[in-house]
Amino acid sequence: MKKVFLCLVIVVLSVFMFAKTELVFWHYWDGENGKKLESLIQEFNTSHPNIEVQPVFIPGSDLLTKIQLSVLSGQTPELAISDIIGMPLILDTGKVIDLMPYVKKENYDLNDFYENTLVYGKIEDKLFSLPVSSSNLGLFWNKELFKKAGLDPEQPPKTWDELIEYGKIIKEKTGNFGYELYLDGGEGTTWQWQIFLWQAGGEFLDSDSNYRKSSFNSEAGVQALQFWVDLTNTYKISPIAPWGLFGRGEAAMVMDGSWMTQFFPAQVDFELGSAVFPYPENGVPATNMGGEQIFVFKTTKEKEDACWEFIKWFTSTEVQIDWDKATGFIPVKKSVATNEGYNAYIKNTNRLLLPFIEVQQYAHARPPIKEYSQVSDIVSKAIISAVYKKGTPEKMLNEAASQVDLLLGRK
Amino acid sequence: MSKKIGGSQAHHFFKGNRISLLIFLLPSIIIIFVFNLFPAFYSFFLSFFDWNGFSQSKVFVGFNNYIMAFKDPELRNSIIVTLIYSLLVTFISMFIGLLVALALNKDLKGKSLFRLLYFIPVVTPSVASGITWKYLFDPYNGVINNILGFFNINGPQWLNSTSWALFSVSIVGIWKRIGFCMVIYLAALQDIPKSYLEAAEVDGANSWNAFRYIKLPLLLPSSLFLIITGFIEAFQVFDLIYTMTNGGPIGATDVLGFLLYRHAFKYFNLGYASVVALIIFVILFLLSIVQWKYTGGGVKNVE
Repeated sequence: MKKVFLCLVIVVLSVFMFAKTELVFWHYWDGENGKKLESLIQEFNTSHPNIEVQPVFIPGSDLLTKIQLSVLSGQTPELAISDIIGMPLILDTGKVIDLMPYVKKENYDLNDFYENTLVYGKIEDKLFSLPVSSSNLGLFWNKELFKKAGLDPEQPPKTWDELIEYGKIIKEKTGNFGYELYLDGGEGTTWQWQIFLWQAGGEFLDSDSNYRKSSFNSEAGVQALQFWVDLTNTYKISPIAPWGLFGRGEAAMVMDGSWMTQFFPAQVDFELGSAVFPYPENGVPATNMGGEQIFVFKTTKEKEDACWEFIKWFTSTEVQIDWDKATGFIPVKKSVATNEGYNAYIKNTNRLLLPFIEVQQYAHARPPIKEYSQVSDIVSKAIISAVYKKGTPEKMLNEAASQVDLLLGRK
Repeated sequence: MSKKIGGSQAHHFFKGNRISLLIFLLPSIIIIFVFNLFPAFYSFFLSFFDWNGFSQSKVFVGFNNYIMAFKDPELRNSIIVTLIYSLLVTFISMFIGLLVALALNKDLKGKSLFRLLYFIPVVTPSVASGITWKYLFDPYNGVINNILGFFNINGPQWLNSTSWALFSVSIVGIWKRIGFCMVIYLAALQDIPKSYLEAAEVDGANSWNAFRYIKLPLLLPSSLFLIITGFIEAFQVFDLIYTMTNGGPIGATDVLGFLLYRHAFKYFNLGYASVVALIIFVILFLLSIVQWKYTGGGVKNVE
């Protein structure tokens, strides 16, 4: 009898000892990024024998609706990431836990993150998500076209005036377009235009009213939109055409994302340069920030604790350096961006990325509101209307502002 | 006729055996209920709420979504855009389809090859067609403008022009539908008894008269069918818009299906999207009733 009892105790104990806390982790990183994530997770699982993180790939376009369904059916994963723009909707479920108690208890350093990467998760004194990756926008230029036009191929424009000046020379000397604007509409147009707005000193939505009021129809907004109208209509150095002329070598300059430092070199047959995007003489440098946030769904205390262990590990400076090196993501932490080893590695492997890392300190966050996509569509329509000469920039922005205010004031 | 025979056979077979009848029907009843009826009624229910699908609470707003819809200039624009698109696609594809069918109804060499060629666009996925046509329409590098340029014609901006975009998208819609109209008309033409045409010839009718007074009236049921299916299909157009214009520029191609998609899956305004869905349903329902009423239901003419 005693023996049986002893056996039982051993069995129970061993089951208990080897029982792993299993965490399902939804993400949409594919290709090289997905492979790197898997290998990082393997590393974590080995160094944390009682936690087993299981990455599950969900296509990016399905992630929000998948989360919507999982919340409705009560079968959420333990961990997930999302594009920053989806965060306000996800937090609206009320099923995401506050990480602040962990931060306070363990003295976790939030100050190391770029402040603007935290706006999507930080609501008053609560913290619902943390940034794990970022990207931003900058200038790419075609060195061959610069040479053909008699410009110094190593000197990109630094101001808006220079952008126009160089563009005019390129148009005149080579017959190609100087600068390509994204005019296909939607968020692609809005998030590029926001950079011009911020560079001119403007604000998109009024942060003092908690982003419930538009402020893009300011003087800076008019200046930014007038610049777009000048590029397309006055100087005609930017085409009104489907996106893609720069990639085909038909436009000399373009604003595009940090991720293109990996894709452009393989796609184009000309020499590329990248730089911080030119800004007006009386303005400030600025860029727009993309990226992902990680968060934890309400489950059990044991699982939530294990999730925090993973987040803490994944957002640690060492792992982030490794992650950013392999993926080409822009650091979300200052300690990564200034790390010597990281910088030396980027210098040797992907020089094009350097300006994007440099400008990250000036990266703005798009307003963390649930209605952002709708606001963005209203604004992009106004931008394109002005470029199509349906009205002055001032009139179009004011009309958009009253629509946005109506939408945001309703709730 | 065949329907009647089938019906009476079934009647004999299942006489006094309603339970087995029910069991056989149950799978389809369940499927129709779960995937068609329930979502339709639930969507109607949602149209009275403000809900994004994420929040745990649906806010009852009464007729607010409906009032918003009546005031929404985007919705008004979408209804007009969709109507123009549907009219263009339905009638032009019918007209061209009829011409092609008349031509291919003759004893031409290689007519089966032509029939095949005209039918290929029908079975090509809309997404593939949309993306390919987008390249063709490119104002600076597109095949179409290059060809026009060869003849010294300065081609329009096509999809990037607020006045040409809807027409450009309609061209693709028409191109995709010609083959279907052709097949329907070909079948109808071959159903016309030779004796009618021979009698007309004896009476001295020329080929135009034979077409106008014999073929055309006998093609009426097929035309009616093509109008109804054309409108229903065109009213739901989405993939072409999604791949070619995203509703732009400035709403020029913002069809109802795309407006619905934006509100449901991009803005997550599920209540408002339900109102849009209801409007699409009501318009299609009314159109069908009107068409059936004023064309005498069509079926009588077949027999």
